[in-house]
Amino acid sequence: MAVDDRVPRKARRALKAFASRAAREPLVHFFAVALVLFAAYSVLHGPEHRPAGASITIPQGRVNQIAESFRLLAGRMPSRAELQALVNDFADEEIDYREAIAMGLDADDTIVRRRMRQKLEFLAEDADASEAPTDGELAAWLHQHAAEYRVPERIAFRQILASSDIRGARALTDATGLRDKLNAGANPEELGDASMLPAVVPLTTREGVTSLFGEAFARHVFEQNACEDWFGPVASPLGAHDVQIMSREPARDPVFAEVRDQLRSDWIEAQRMAKREEFQARLRRRYHVTVDWPEPYRK
Amino acid sequence: MRRTALVATVLLGAVAQAAVAAPNPLRNVYFGDLHLHTRNSFDAYIFNVRATPEDAYAYAKGGTIKHAMGFDLHLNSGPLDFLAVTDHAEYLGVLHAIDTPGTEYSKVPYAKELFGTERNTVLAAFSRFAESLESGKRRADLADMSATVSAWQETIRSAERNNNPGTFTSFVGYEFTSAPGIRNLHRNVIFASGKAPAMPFSALESQNPEDLWRWLDARRAEGIEALAIPHNSNGSDGTMFERTMWNGQPIDRAYAELRARNEPLVEITQVKGTSETMPLLSPNDEFAGFELMTSYIGVTKPITRFEGGYVRDALKRGLEIQNAVGVNPYKMGFVAGSDSHNAAGSFEENNYFSKVGVLDGAPVQRGSVPPPEYKSWAEFEAAGKTPPLSSTWGSAGLTGVWAEENTRESLFAAMRRKETFGTTGPRIRVRLFAGYGIKSVNLATDAGVRAAYAKGVPMGGDLLVKAKQKPELVVIAMRDLRSAPLQRIQIVKGWTDASGKSFEKIFDAVCSDGGKVDRATQRCPDNGASVDVKTCQFSQDKGDGQLQAAWTDPEFDPKQNAFYYARVLENPTCRWSTWDAIRAHVEPNPKLARTIQERAYTSPIWVVPANGR
Repeated sequence: MAVDDRVPRKARRALKAFASRAAREPLVHFFAVALVLFAAYSVLHGPEHRPAGASITIPQGRVNQIAESFRLLAGRMPSRAELQALVNDFADEEIDYREAIAMGLDADDTIVRRRMRQKLEFLAEDADASEAPTDGELAAWLHQHAAEYRVPERIAFRQILASSDIRGARALTDATGLRDKLNAGANPEELGDASMLPAVVPLTTREGVTSLFGEAFARHVFEQNACEDWFGPVASPLGAHDVQIMSREPARDPVFAEVRDQLRSDWIEAQRMAKREEFQARLRRRYHVTVDWPEPYRK
Repeated sequence: MRRTALVATVLLGAVAQAAVAAPNPLRNVYFGDLHLHTRNSFDAYIFNVRATPEDAYAYAKGGTIKHAMGFDLHLNSGPLDFLAVTDHAEYLGVLHAIDTPGTEYSKVPYAKELFGTERNTVLAAFSRFAESLESGKRRADLADMSATVSAWQETIRSAERNNNPGTFTSFVGYEFTSAPGIRNLHRNVIFASGKAPAMPFSALESQNPEDLWRWLDARRAEGIEALAIPHNSNGSDGTMFERTMWNGQPIDRAYAELRARNEPLVEITQVKGTSETMPLLSPNDEFAGFELMTSYIGVTKPITRFEGGYVRDALKRGLEIQNAVGVNPYKMGFVAGSDSHNAAGSFEENNYFSKVGVLDGAPVQRGSVPPPEYKSWAEFEAAGKTPPLSSTWGSAGLTGVWAEENTRESLFAAMRRKETFGTTGPRIRVRLFAGYGIKSVNLATDAGVRAAYAKGVPMGGDLLVKAKQKPELVVIAMRDLRSAPLQRIQIVKGWTDASGKSFEKIFDAVCSDGGKVDRATQRCPDNGASVDVKTCQFSQDKGDGQLQAAWTDPEFDPKQNAFYYARVLENPTCRWSTWDAIRAHVEPNPKLARTIQERAYTSPIWVVPANGR
């Protein structure tokens, strides 16, 4: 193919820069994706019909597409000379690409491989990723993943402490005595040793209670059977506690409106991930992978 | 991996929504990290860190993410209450762009070397960035800012998405990475709200922190509130807290005001060592030798000037400068951070993964386990080998904040008034008040806290000297239930005398196990707590769960400018390097401390004479 020299070298450079700026535009990305999609289709459905030897034919469709890309960025159609320069550049790129492939430059190049994989992933994600799930879809998602969105059990309680700093080994027996006084009607505000821990804990999850009082305490309190009395002693690293449960809210499924935004964000993320996985799985089915493991790694 | 993080975030989000508590006028304590890097930092990406700001929030909220070397990262001590992602503003997002074929960035000639497999080639290519930061000159071949714009937008978007008022607070932030001649003048800039500037002001705009403060003033005038937090003054070779300004002239009143307005806080400890003080500056402080880093950042060049490089010394200098110019430029409260470049802080000694991805993710790389070619540390040493710099790093610090509720407004206001403290990792809770007629209040009760607020000032505040009255300090601390019991609470005092010269002294205020402070030495008796370094088991019967004290200064002089802060010490526990060695069934590295005493530092209270200089 003859290289047209009617466009001066300088102008060609400028156009090249223009094309490179264009590469950063989302619309052009769209076209780039479309192009790759075409290429991927070819890969998946048999070899592209490509003439051998030194001949390169640029079909009308491709020229139109180059012109359209220019129009999207410049707001007008390119002149014949401008289009010629862009088409020449495309031809150069195709020539270089074929030469590079012929020389095997694509093989074992981490950057090329990674880039191609990334493009495939984009393809898989963008092919029909919807950013606007309906409430129906979200409700179905919530139904399917109910366990993940379940609001955990919460407990509100009062506690007093028999501090082992102050009472040493007596803390445990002291706490038993304090419990009996409380159940006989004593005022909890007048009993026990004051600490930086809250005397009254509002509705709190097991994780929250653990972070305040430690794991053993949280387990004991959450596994305590329903009762209105003070119970104890419940041990923590600070000593022995007596506890009275004030209210208990069982684990429940959230109301749709409570988690709608979260559902939407998770749904979109999950769709993307699923598409990527599905695509990868489809590709994987076309290959049979065997690995010749080096000696130290053989089972 | 992402799935786990996602589900965890969801769960916590849901839990959180249902559990928002009413604001507490007596203030709650919240723990978090104001210093964290992700793949958007040039020096994280190069070491294979690919975790994003989203991953950083997932981890902070209790999720599980991956380390660059493939293992799981999870906070055993429970989720954090707040987090700021503070990636380096310089070349923000640029390494990722260079590593993305097809971008203009990927065309830099050294792109291939940066992401090759030859360690030395990678480091040589990477040194271009270190040199640029040292000189403060932006590389001409990376003048395109589009990657930085996009990464900054990601930072803001991710903070906005993860901010859950009432349960989890995210702050928009970044790191200003000024290091003229590798002398560390780094600051983290933390924004009060989601209102952030179009671009961060970086050290490639100016290495002069005064320019950063003027830029912050200008943003404030536009309604964008932020503050800057200096860190690793230990790596500044005495330049972080100078007596002079950038132009070499002595600090004047305008400088002192500019600085104090924009830098109310300082990061007192983090992975790269503690900046409170060190033995050469505080020869009478037997606890000063804690996790010291005495070299420049990232290189083996030793620090030669410690004055001006440590926080306690800076507080003292601040009093001296205040006497001279009327304003204290170094009136700083304390925070602490991780500075992890893994998008995840390693706060726990027994869950330690160091700081920068594949550089130090394995024990052999951080000097806690000898390389496989050496059978013992003796052989290692005989071969003339020395452990890497990262062996002297400590586990991450944490910031504690006393605030009404877990929201940006409430936490930021607390940071402004310096009602904050720093810990070396454990979630030790500590409160300090100073006032008159408060010595009998019990800070373990709501009534006591209410009285302390009514009659005194909390940490970070100023107390005016009253005629014929001695200020009373009250302090309380509670242990982290997952770490060791407490050993003592100390009061660290700094003051200036009539000649304007500054001094320091440490007083033990309360001892564990019923010990009494010796009035001659001002020290507690040894409580006998020990650690079995073969198992890391520590004494279960020594130390206290909670310590509290009322304290008055036996040497109080109403004419002196003074500050007081509390330092809480835990019983000894195993250092991370000992845990690493035990797990690898090798001897701990004899060059490294086997045990440490974790601690918390409250912001100071300044006691100001009535004649008010």
